Amino acid sequence: MSDPIAVAVVGAGNWGTTLAHRIASNGHSVALWTRDAAARDEINARRSNSRSVPGLVIAPNVRAVTDMAQALAGATLVLFVVPSQAFRAVCRIAADSLSPEQLVIHATKGLEQRSHRRMSELLLEETCARQIGVLSGPNIAAEIAAGMPAGTVVASHFPRVVRVGRQALSSARMMVFSADDVVGVELAGAFKNVVAIAAGMAAELGVGENAKAFLVTRGLAEMARLGAALGARPLTFAGLTGVGDLTVTCASGQSRNNRVGRALARGQALPDALRELGMVAEGVYASAAAHELAAVHRIDLPLMEHVYRVLYEGQSPAASVDELMRLPAGDDVGATRRAASPLEG
Amino acid sequence: MRLERRSGRNDEGVAVAEQVVGRITARVLAREAGDPGHAIHEVIGETVFHERSRLEEATGPRADADRAFYNLVAKRVHSGRTADPALVREVVRHYTDEIRGHFDRRVYAVATRALPVGLSALLNGLSPLHLVTHIRDLPSLEQNVVLDGEVETLQSLVNVGTVILAPTHASNLDSLLLGFAIFRMGLPPFSYGAGLNLFTNPLTSFFMNHLGAYTVDRSKTDPLYRATLKEFATALLERGHHNLFFPGGTRSRSGAVETHLKKGLLGTAIAAFKNNLRARKARPRIFVVPATATYPLVLEAKSLVDDFLEQTGKGRYVRSVDEFAMVRRWVDFLTGLLRLRLRIPLVIGKPFDPFGNDVDSSGTSRDTCGRPIDPSRYLVADGAIADDAARDAEYTSGLASRLLHVYQADNVALPSAILAFAVFELLRRRAPRLDLYRLLRTVGPEATLPASSVEAEVSALLTELRSLARDGRIRIAEESVEPDVVIRRGLETFRTYHAVTVIDRRGDRFRVRDANLAFYYRNRLEGYGLRGSGPIVGAGP
Repeated sequence: MSDPIAVAVVGAGNWGTTLAHRIASNGHSVALWTRDAAARDEINARRSNSRSVPGLVIAPNVRAVTDMAQALAGATLVLFVVPSQAFRAVCRIAADSLSPEQLVIHATKGLEQRSHRRMSELLLEETCARQIGVLSGPNIAAEIAAGMPAGTVVASHFPRVVRVGRQALSSARMMVFSADDVVGVELAGAFKNVVAIAAGMAAELGVGENAKAFLVTRGLAEMARLGAALGARPLTFAGLTGVGDLTVTCASGQSRNNRVGRALARGQALPDALRELGMVAEGVYASAAAHELAAVHRIDLPLMEHVYRVLYEGQSPAASVDELMRLPAGDDVGATRRAASPLEG
Repeated sequence: MRLERRSGRNDEGVAVAEQVVGRITARVLAREAGDPGHAIHEVIGETVFHERSRLEEATGPRADADRAFYNLVAKRVHSGRTADPALVREVVRHYTDEIRGHFDRRVYAVATRALPVGLSALLNGLSPLHLVTHIRDLPSLEQNVVLDGEVETLQSLVNVGTVILAPTHASNLDSLLLGFAIFRMGLPPFSYGAGLNLFTNPLTSFFMNHLGAYTVDRSKTDPLYRATLKEFATALLERGHHNLFFPGGTRSRSGAVETHLKKGLLGTAIAAFKNNLRARKARPRIFVVPATATYPLVLEAKSLVDDFLEQTGKGRYVRSVDEFAMVRRWVDFLTGLLRLRLRIPLVIGKPFDPFGNDVDSSGTSRDTCGRPIDPSRYLVADGAIADDAARDAEYTSGLASRLLHVYQADNVALPSAILAFAVFELLRRRAPRLDLYRLLRTVGPEATLPASSVEAEVSALLTELRSLARDGRIRIAEESVEPDVVIRRGLETFRTYHAVTVIDRRGDRFRVRDANLAFYYRNRLEGYGLRGSGPIVGAGP
């Protein structure tokens, strides 16, 4: 497309490896950081990462490294793709080697437990990076790895971050949209996982397609309401990173959060469900965050609250469906009405 | 009555102004080159439009002169010869003439050095009305201002780079207080970006005109004016003049600590740093140092809170006549401060580089773990220092949010605010359905609260404040320890100055005598979520 960019991808999991491969396939040089020396050697010697992305033949200009300084040296753009609960720790490792002129985009959908910090806030707190953005959208890694068409979003307050991010990721198979509502994009990515758990439960309970659409739409309204209280623009939730990502996460049986919901509806306990999954389900953390934030901001989130009860308080999913159906129904699109300020009569 | 004494030498001010005229004109001409026949016309047309709408309501000799000037400019614009670079230069110079005022580094250095330790002498020099005859035993700022925080860091930073001192703004007294503090800390002179009202106010114009102040007129909405002002402040910094301005813009109308800052002047930190780097200056670094002053009483509290509640005053220009211009109010205020030995804590906050990183006393930028950072790298793209207005604006927003954080943390919980907060909470809880305006209207002289509930509320509030203070999120005055002491000091403080006291006590009942003022003083503790309260001020009027 234009000049090749030097890119570093931090995190060689499923999504990180996929992104590194796509960017490299666009002609850019990629250093892929992993803690795991065996994974590094496998990528460099055999062009595969069998644990994270089985079957993918990784592009030749991806170079895996375990040394962070080596990974980041000379990179114009750095992508952080690590699970939310490991994010801060990895930031601390990277902080030694990051330089203020480097552009940073993270692709992690979640909030830090207890602190409820967004990933961009962790980057600000732990590193000297300021030119920060977020990558999000309806992007199932396996489809992206296979080169199937998709759209995604890079959001940043820094136009150059968006520009360089687009340049690295855009291809005939990937349309990259821009946004500047960083808060909205990050929160949409985190909270859609909670709704996905609910969608998984609904699917397993066999409540029908009407009920699933009902649940997903109300879930989206709750995401937007909570997001707005935390500084997001509600309209962001109508975009690719909101309704787009929610649709794919709720519909796809591949979604980890969806699978956790199904397991719980089958009567499995949460620890067993997670053990069976063998991967991180971000929605489990995001549910606790939504529960705590709703209390702080005094927002009513009935659907997300019930997900919390099922996850953490042993409530049965079937009982939740009954309770939710008995709640009084208010305005459908109430968010369009101006909320009363405490100063208004 | 206006006191004006022109200082004879104004070379530095002229030099800065000329540099600014040159830069702004060059910028407009560059636009003209890209859009021949239009850019100058557009820029000047915009100026005439904005200035004429401003002048519709303005009165006085300054406004008359401006009107005449813009009539001439308008004529020249309409005469057809629109691509006249001289016209741009003249308009920008018209602005810089006002902005630079009487700025003179030498006069100003002397004035700062000679700044009297006692406020009495200051007022002597200040007042055309010979205030002294009205007041015996004037309080000395030495006794009343308590300097705290990163004083030594600031003292060291003025020697390794150029400093922007960025204080909170609650009262017009801030300028005098900070002038005194700069003197007290033994710092070199700072130039002030002071609101035009301080120049038109008879009590402060002399002081402002002779203390290296340059004029900031917030009623001017013309983008060319804003650009000129910003460039003036930038050029001052580049020439090594330490600078003081209030990033909140105007005095807090609500009494609350600032919740947003104006990014325009704050952005001069990056602009000057970048220019310094390109010019390969020996000491290119710019530091931004927050300062938080907390008043037990605010001289012009009444008119500020009225302004806030009227809504119309919000964001608009300051009325020039308020308590600050009234001699009697000064006298009452100062004698009150003295009699009660009221302390005004002034906390120098931790310094930042223009990108919001911490800075140590050697001027080195450090990340949150203390690793040194080279701040010039923030401006590099593709291997060289690059211009990127959106990037710099975003850096400045980041800096602003760090400053706001420091203001909150360096705010001091004083007895008057604690008492007002407790009483206001009790009133609010008693009538949870009332909106703010109705609540304030319904609180009349008959509104009383049992002493026991006030004591319990103050006590609960102190517990929460202490927990916040342990986390470094607020400071507590030494005297704000025991509930009964807080209540007694709070009542004394309110009684000593305000025409009608804010809150008083009759037997075992507390009476709210002025609900608006109680609201005003209470607001200083807003934004901490104390006693489960949500934002009132933050929600906007």
